[in-house]
Order: sequence, then structure tokens, then C-alpha cells
Amino acid sequence: MATTPSNMKGFYRLKKNRSGITKPTSSKKSSLHLVRSLGSDITQLTALISHGSPDLKDYHDNHEELMRQFDMNMAYGPCLGMSRLARWERAQRLGLNPPIGFEGLLKAEKPLAVVGCTTAADLNQMLFLT
Amino acid sequence: MAGMEIDTVENLQRKQSTYQSLDETFVIQNETYRGQQYSQIYFARLHMMRTLLYSLVTHWKPHVPVCTVLGLEEGKECIIVGTLYKHMKLKPCILDEYSKERSAVPLVKHHNFMHPDDHLVLEDESGRVKLGGTVLSPSVYVTGVVVALHGKETGAGDFMVLDVLEAGLAPQIEPQLKSREDKYVVFISGVSAGSSSSNPLQFQLLVDHITGHLGDEKEQGIVAEIVHVVIAGNSVEIPLGLLNGQNLASKDQSRLSEPVQELDILLTQVYLWISCQDPMIQRTFLYLNRAYNTFRSCTNPHCFELDGVRILGTSGQNIDDLKKYSEGRDGLEFMERTLKWRHLAPTTPNTLGCYPFTDRDPFLIESCPHVYFVGNQDKYGTRILKGSEGQLVRLISIPKFCDTGMVVVLNLRNLECHTLSFETQFSS
Repeated sequence: MATTPSNMKGFYRLKKNRSGITKPTSSKKSSLHLVRSLGSDITQLTALISHGSPDLKDYHDNHEELMRQFDMNMAYGPCLGMSRLARWERAQRLGLNPPIGFEGLLKAEKPLAVVGCTTAADLNQMLFLT
Repeated sequence: MAGMEIDTVENLQRKQSTYQSLDETFVIQNETYRGQQYSQIYFARLHMMRTLLYSLVTHWKPHVPVCTVLGLEEGKECIIVGTLYKHMKLKPCILDEYSKERSAVPLVKHHNFMHPDDHLVLEDESGRVKLGGTVLSPSVYVTGVVVALHGKETGAGDFMVLDVLEAGLAPQIEPQLKSREDKYVVFISGVSAGSSSSNPLQFQLLVDHITGHLGDEKEQGIVAEIVHVVIAGNSVEIPLGLLNGQNLASKDQSRLSEPVQELDILLTQVYLWISCQDPMIQRTFLYLNRAYNTFRSCTNPHCFELDGVRILGTSGQNIDDLKKYSEGRDGLEFMERTLKWRHLAPTTPNTLGCYPFTDRDPFLIESCPHVYFVGNQDKYGTRILKGSEGQLVRLISIPKFCDTGMVVVLNLRNLECHTLSFETQFSS
């Protein structure tokens, strides 16, 4: 996707969250809606959002934040190539005490959770921008 | 079970035993391949083994602190637990094909890739450290083994190993022997039907013997005590030239399917429980035998219980791979090492292929078997291995049938072993 010069400021203006890893957010609701209806994968989601202006903190954002922290936590093992739910279940089975509320969250948000957790493209994006 | 017809009035009945398959962990059932890499299986392996080793370390050296690789301090004695990686100079690497410094000497295929310069490295999630000292011999260990090491970091950044702790034999459940009578299990491996070295008559002799068509009453009485047959791999040898990805001509198709069909027909005569460990055979080929509930396709490795005796084994790839990357006296010594490392195939997935499981490492040995067999070996060998907590394991190295004409017979009552040889050549 090409960015016009007027978008560049918006592209780099990021709000850093004190609580940890974040990604640039935008009119997330509409992007999410778009992604769900297209059935496309989470890398597209990130690409869509990163071109918007950082702003809203809404319900989804908080959850996504927690999810990403879960993905990045090395104690639960590698995160690439498996769904979040599967990774949570593995952590549970190996006795690693993953956060309990998560299971409910992941099962409620089934479409996204099944698609997969942070992908390699995502990781690149996050490491570059933060 | 079918009885055997003989000429006298009385019918000999074959003995029976209770069979229970324990292969669930080896089966790829609900797994879907999502493009995952092997880091998942290594994580599962390290986590399970480390939890176990941490509990053993408290009895081994209770006063030495345990730390991770990143937490090493120079000169401070401590214990670290991680996965071993062996750096091998001669190990074939795909990048060698693209190397600009191609040597004039063509790459020779070694049967063993060891070199005096090989060294070991210990790795966990936090990092890796090169291992020094003489306690840990690179010729014994291979990549993928998880151990606990006692030592200290040197000025050069190496970890000088003072002592090593392996997991040791797993706990063993007492076999609940239901009967005191002799019951036999026959192990066959490397029939290689279809290869130039195989002799169909030899296999036919074996089948005739097991089904009681040979010998007198006494012979048949002995044979009636065979309750199970295990076919440990390499039952069929497909000529390599046929499998080059192109469509087969009809003439070639019969060359491919004939040996399998022959094997199929022969095996239908055997009215016995058969565990067959051949990936080529599984489900696609042995049409006739699939109808019989006595024929069972199994996984490789295969684990099952007969009358409470736990039997675990493979068709030999795990030991053959160890032979290429480490040194040992004989096949039985490698088998002993895998039991002590509590891992059937530590070189997977590094040099031996396996499925990239995400939630577990199925090759970890959680319960010590009573019998441990390995197929397709060069020669027959067997001995009893004793564990530190009273475990007793019968190790069996099954030779290739096409080369030796030998099968191994195990008595479930006392775990004693002997061989049966089938010869079709008569020396004059």
C-alpha cells in the first residue's frame, strides 16, 4: 500500500503505552470489521491499522494488548505457527499457569483466536516501530 | 481365535493374551499443519525434561545453586539444565552445496560423521554456552539430549563441566503376570519383500512354521504358544527408480504392487495378532489383511502391553541415526543410552525426520518398558538392563530377516529370548 506524503506524519506518530508492547491504533472497529468480513489474516489487519492516526483506546485494544503480552512471554514457549488457544492449552497442560481469564477471552473471540497469534510479519512491525 | 487343523482328532488351540495398544501419543490425529517450525517440539522436550531434572538435582547435589545459561557468573559453581547441541564438522549441511569454495574432492558419504574437533554446546531459552572439560565426551552425546551439568564458567566464556546428570531410567510399573505359562511373541524385521536380496521362500517357511503347518505334534504344540507377531518395519522394498515423481507405466505399477500383494497374501495365513510398523504398508496397501481384526497397523515407535508386559520399540531409525552421530560398542549400548536419556530418538528433528508436534514431544519415555526392541539391525543381540530403582528391561536388537533369516522369539513369562533361523540353502 502506498502512502501519500500527507499520511507520513500520521504513519509515524505513535503513542507509546507505558504498560508495554503496543501497536499503532486507528479506527480499529472499522478495520476489524473489514478484516472479519474478508476473512483475511492478521498481518493484513496490522498493515491496515498502521496507516491510520493513533487515537482510540477501546475494548478491543485492551484485549489485543493482553494477547500480545501473552504471545511475547517466553515462559510459554514459541508463539509462531500455533493458535493462541492451542498455545494457552499447551501452557496449561505443561503446568505453566497461564492467566486463567484468557481461556474465556480466546473462546469468546473465536474467529481471531483461531487465525493465530502474532505472526512473524507482526513481530517485525512491532520491533521496528516501538 | 482360529484353531489349527491337524490330522489327529484333537484340535490344537492357540493361546491367547490380552493386548492393549498405547500408541495414542504417537498418532498424528487432531494435528493440523500450520506451518509451525520445530521450535515447538524442542520447547516441549526441554520443559518436560527440565522439570524432571530439577527434581532429581535436589537429591544429586543439594548445595549447588541452579541457574540459567544467562545467569552464569565467572568462577561460580552452579548447575545448569538445557538441551545439548553437538557442533560437528563433518555433518552434511545444505549450505555446502552453495559454498563458493568447492573442494576438488567430491563429498564422500560417511557412515559416521564424527570428528575429533566436535564440541558440545548447552542451550536453554536464555542462551547457549560452549562446554569444556573432559567429563562430557562429545563422542557419546548427540544433539537433542537434555541433561543437567555441574560446573563453572571460565574466563574464556566456556562452561567447564565437572559432573553430568542424566535423567536415568524412567519408573517402571510391575508387570502383572496373569498366568505362569509360557507365551511367546515373535519379532520380525526387514523382510524386504521385492528386493533382490530377499528370498520369498524363507518368509513362506516362517509363515508355515508360525501357522503350524510344519513339524510334528510337539512342534505344533510349541507354536501354539505364540500369541503375537510384531513386524518391525522394512517389510517391503520398493525399487528406487520407480519413485521419481512421474506417472508409472502399467508394467512398473505391477512391479510396485507385487511384493506388497505377496506379503499381503502370506500374512492372511497368519491367524495371529500382528502389529505392523511399516509406514508404506499402513492402510493403503494391505487390503486383504485390513479385514482381519487380528492385523494391526501401528505407529513407529510402537508401544503396547501384552498380559501386562509393556513392550516398546522402533523399526531402527533412531538407533541407526545415533550410530551416524556418535560412538558406541554395539546397538544395545545405543539402546541403553536412549533409555537413560529418557528419549527414544534424541536426534529428531535435527537429523531424523519427525512431525512438528506443537503441544508435546511424543518420544519422551515416561514409563520404562519391560521389553525394548529395535528392528532392522545388522545382527541379533539381547541383554537385560538393570536400573537404579530396580527396573529390569529386556533389550532386543532384531536382525534384518532378508540378510540373516532370523526372527526373535520372546517368552512373556520370564522375558527370555531366543532366535529362530530359516534357511533355504543346503550345504553339500
